[in-house]
Amino acid sequence: MTDFPKLLRVLARGGVEFIVVGGAAATAHGASRLTIDLDVVYHRSRDNIRSLVAALAPYDPYLRGAPPGLPFRWEDSVIHRGLNFTLTTAIGELDLLGEITGGGTYEDLVAHAVRLELYGIECLCLGLERLIHVKRAAGRPKDFEGIAELEAILEERRRMS
Amino acid sequence: MHTRESPLEPDPVIEAYKRDVDRTLIRQHLRLTVEQRFDALMRLQEFAEELRRAGEQAQQRPQPPPRPPQ
Repeated sequence: MTDFPKLLRVLARGGVEFIVVGGAAATAHGASRLTIDLDVVYHRSRDNIRSLVAALAPYDPYLRGAPPGLPFRWEDSVIHRGLNFTLTTAIGELDLLGEITGGGTYEDLVAHAVRLELYGIECLCLGLERLIHVKRAAGRPKDFEGIAELEAILEERRRMS
Repeated sequence: MHTRESPLEPDPVIEAYKRDVDRTLIRQHLRLTVEQRFDALMRLQEFAEELRRAGEQAQQRPQPPPRPPQ
């Protein structure tokens, strides 16, 4: 099971620049669908990658679904050479994304993020409208129900305000 | 930080899916704090995990033969 509070605290207290996206962002906005991993878009700067590697190192990140014994090492150079990583850690499933379809990089998304305060930390989460844009742009049929729910949330929020 | 987004054009496929969305559940969730929403997600994860475990266990147990019709 993914320990969302702990993963968020580890990243935020480690000084990592990241934006919560995907199903966890949908949860933050009020969606009720089950998601099992935390998806974040991380800033690809050298300093941020260093912070990311240091913050997660105690939790043994490894490539999710990969056979044990692969020569995967959790270090800065590996993150520099790759872009998106689907990881399993001692505190849950974490997708580290350098870029997302229809949304781009951290720099592209940061202006569309909202600040969340939860579990004693602050972090950025992709805003509801941009999240819908991104999911629409990805065009995956499996997302249609989720997009419908997010658009209904947007309508309900506007109705309530 | 938060840039105003251009309005979304309705998509007929999504509009069709939207008819089945449970808005009572959405209103209930919108009354929660963000932290409470994540807590609810984790309870749902625990429940899904327990169901998966019980399902696997049931598969391994010999099942009784179906009852003959009355």
